[in-house]
Amino acid sequence: MPDMSAIVNPQQRQFNPYAENGGTILAIAGADFTVIAGDTRQSEGYSIQTRYAPKVFRLTDRAVLAVNGFAADGNMFVKKVKQRLEWYRHAHAKDMPLRAIARLIQTMLYAQRFFPYYVYNILGGIEEDGTGAVYSFDPVGSYERETCRAAGAAQSLVQPFLDNQIYFKNQTAAQGSPHPAHLPLPDVLSIVIDSFTSATERHIEVGDGLEMYIVLARGRTLPDAVAGLRPQELPSAGGEKVFVLKRDLKKD
Amino acid sequence: MNSLVRQFLITDADRETERSSELTNEDRPSDALWGSQAGFGHLVEGHAFNIPAVPDPSAFLRLHTDDHADPNCKIKIQHGTTTLAFRFQGGVIVAVDSRATAGSYIASGTVKKVIEINPYLLGTMAGGAADCQYWETYLGIQCRLHELRNRERISVAAASKYLSNLVYSYKGMGLSMGTMICGWDKTGPTIFYVDSDGSRLKGDLFSVGSGSTFAYGVLDQGYRWDMTDEEAQELGRRSIYAAGHRDAFSGNTCNLYHVKEDGWKFIGNYDITKLHYDGPGAVPGAPGGGYGYDVRTDSRFSTLSEPVAA
Amino acid sequence: MSAFHSTKPGFDFSNANRNAFLEGKGVKMPKATSTGTTIVGCLFKDGIVLGADTRATAGEIVADKNCEKIHYISESIRCCGAGTAADTEFITALISSNIELHALSTGRKPRVVTAMTMLKQRLFQHQGHIGAALVLGGVDATGAHLFTVAPHGSTDKLPYVTMGSGSLAAMAVFESGWRPNLERAEALQLVVAAISAGIFNDLGSGSNVDACVITATETEMLRNYVMPNVRVEKERKYGFRRGTTAWTREKVRDLIVSEEIRPIAVIAGGEEMDTS
Repeated sequence: MPDMSAIVNPQQRQFNPYAENGGTILAIAGADFTVIAGDTRQSEGYSIQTRYAPKVFRLTDRAVLAVNGFAADGNMFVKKVKQRLEWYRHAHAKDMPLRAIARLIQTMLYAQRFFPYYVYNILGGIEEDGTGAVYSFDPVGSYERETCRAAGAAQSLVQPFLDNQIYFKNQTAAQGSPHPAHLPLPDVLSIVIDSFTSATERHIEVGDGLEMYIVLARGRTLPDAVAGLRPQELPSAGGEKVFVLKRDLKKD
Repeated sequence: MNSLVRQFLITDADRETERSSELTNEDRPSDALWGSQAGFGHLVEGHAFNIPAVPDPSAFLRLHTDDHADPNCKIKIQHGTTTLAFRFQGGVIVAVDSRATAGSYIASGTVKKVIEINPYLLGTMAGGAADCQYWETYLGIQCRLHELRNRERISVAAASKYLSNLVYSYKGMGLSMGTMICGWDKTGPTIFYVDSDGSRLKGDLFSVGSGSTFAYGVLDQGYRWDMTDEEAQELGRRSIYAAGHRDAFSGNTCNLYHVKEDGWKFIGNYDITKLHYDGPGAVPGAPGGGYGYDVRTDSRFSTLSEPVAA
Repeated sequence: MSAFHSTKPGFDFSNANRNAFLEGKGVKMPKATSTGTTIVGCLFKDGIVLGADTRATAGEIVADKNCEKIHYISESIRCCGAGTAADTEFITALISSNIELHALSTGRKPRVVTAMTMLKQRLFQHQGHIGAALVLGGVDATGAHLFTVAPHGSTDKLPYVTMGSGSLAAMAVFESGWRPNLERAEALQLVVAAISAGIFNDLGSGSNVDACVITATETEMLRNYVMPNVRVEKERKYGFRRGTTAWTREKVRDLIVSEEIRPIAVIAGGEEMDTS
């Protein structure tokens, strides 16, 4: 006998415009640089949609935005942020400062308070005073400046590692040599790479490729150890410099 | 037509007709989106929020964001808090923790839950972090406009009522805020509790959040109107410590503010684990030593208490 | 005997209703480790080749990077398991044990159909509650046989089969590459290609390729036959300085305890203690 319950009982369908596309992003601020990184796998369920979908985007010469969560929302959001920054350039003949971009992102996210972008944002770059900065956001725009932040699928794997290695949580300093407030760039890069290789080992949605953006403050050059890795320098108007460093991650 | 070019071609009358059309605010950039206006320009224009095209938008929002009803919901809005404020002879003490949780995950341990609205007004954050941050920033703008229009500072009563009326207009839409607006005006030190249900209460002592019961315990036990500044600050610190110690959704650090006649002052940031073992350090009003550890364990720590030679 | 001690053999379902109620209320149940998995098998000229990946997952977390999914049934019958790890492990161990007893009591080498029938009857009996999806293969007196057994007890007999979350990726390889009477090396290569398709294209599968070649004369278990996903070396060393962990107090105790033994003197003229 056919199932008649569908006819007898009212059927409820709900509007679900959201999907989860996996992946992880992370950013670490140094004294005069910031590293913003993300893996390049995009997945849904057990399927890989693509092995190369960038999650990290350069906004200005000193601001880089990483987006994670629902890829369609993320790409649209980045597009709109870039558009607003371009309007700002036309109106003011300069790039928007980092802290202003952070506030802009808050208002753009909050404008969707009742129909949120399913996106976790991490903004990294160089502040007007030349210091490295990371701003992290929740999907509806609450934000905070931090030294380091991981978001996305492997957030709960990576953030505790960062807390230990960057903030030195649960590590007692040796007598007479306190923990440094900021690590040098080569150390930060190795921590970023290790975070992603480890997340790839234990999280099924992380892998394929790693893109690391390095933003250097005005007048700073890459340390030899990093220059040796041959990062690609993106064209900029001078002042701050932006480099991209790519690595392969495991593809299983 | 290129939206950029249109910015310059369009007349006000055109804009009025266009406003009534089906276009959403997002697709049609207004002048306000161009320049400064602190990014709040779109509010000046009147319509701010994009609403999903479903019969019940707030049910839609709840479905995707309410992690109490469904722990597997996708968008996790940060929750969980202890905040307190009390009035006493020397002004207002405001103390908060710094933990943000999303489900059982500690999303952050460094949240600023005291929002500095202006040099005389503080707001606290409990409930939705974004709701509090955004609307209290917005309140700051309105307070400044009030000053410019009326050549005097806004009263705490007026500021809190502005916020209360604002969130009340969104009632049932899913905003979540429990905030204390604290400040000093012509009437002296003042605290108003405002929440997203529409409550607005004037009082001497409030605590808000999942850890409030623990904070009240210490607060009520130690509160007197005629406390010294140091005693009052210590009471605020000790209360947040108690909440951070017993409430899983509160903790990490304590931020302490003191509002006096000449505006608020940030007193300090205290690690709650450090408060437990070592206390706040050399701070006036503190008894010295840890708040919790030694008190409970000193010399009763172990069965192996008799001294043994190495 | 305690009232709570069940004398009935088999599974204890006494918590099933309670758990279903709790789950309905939104309480999170503990996740069973599942072998997201790609498992395959195919016939070739002289017998059967079975294959499996080695990833076990708990949700989206990799629980085991190198687990064994090709289980022993008898010398020339093996079984690949997908689904709930514990179920596949125990069901194959149980049937393996019963097959051995059966072989002993009949005095004959066990047949693949026998194992298949025992498996499907057991799975059907439990109406899908035993979450095992199996690929059963082997060579017996009647020749080489290859079956799939689904969790509810239905079975298939085919020349090439795949199961698990990576079954579609693996089947695509079989559909394009399998033909009757493959050589041993060709069949093994095809199985490796099928499992690799699962490893790289299905998130539930990963790590290494296990294979097993069964012919009438011998069974060759090729554990970690291909290892395409070796863990890369870390950039930094993560050792911790002595004294990193904070402590509240220090107490050093002497572990050497000295005792003095003083024998009790026998009282002169007194009665001896009765120690019998």
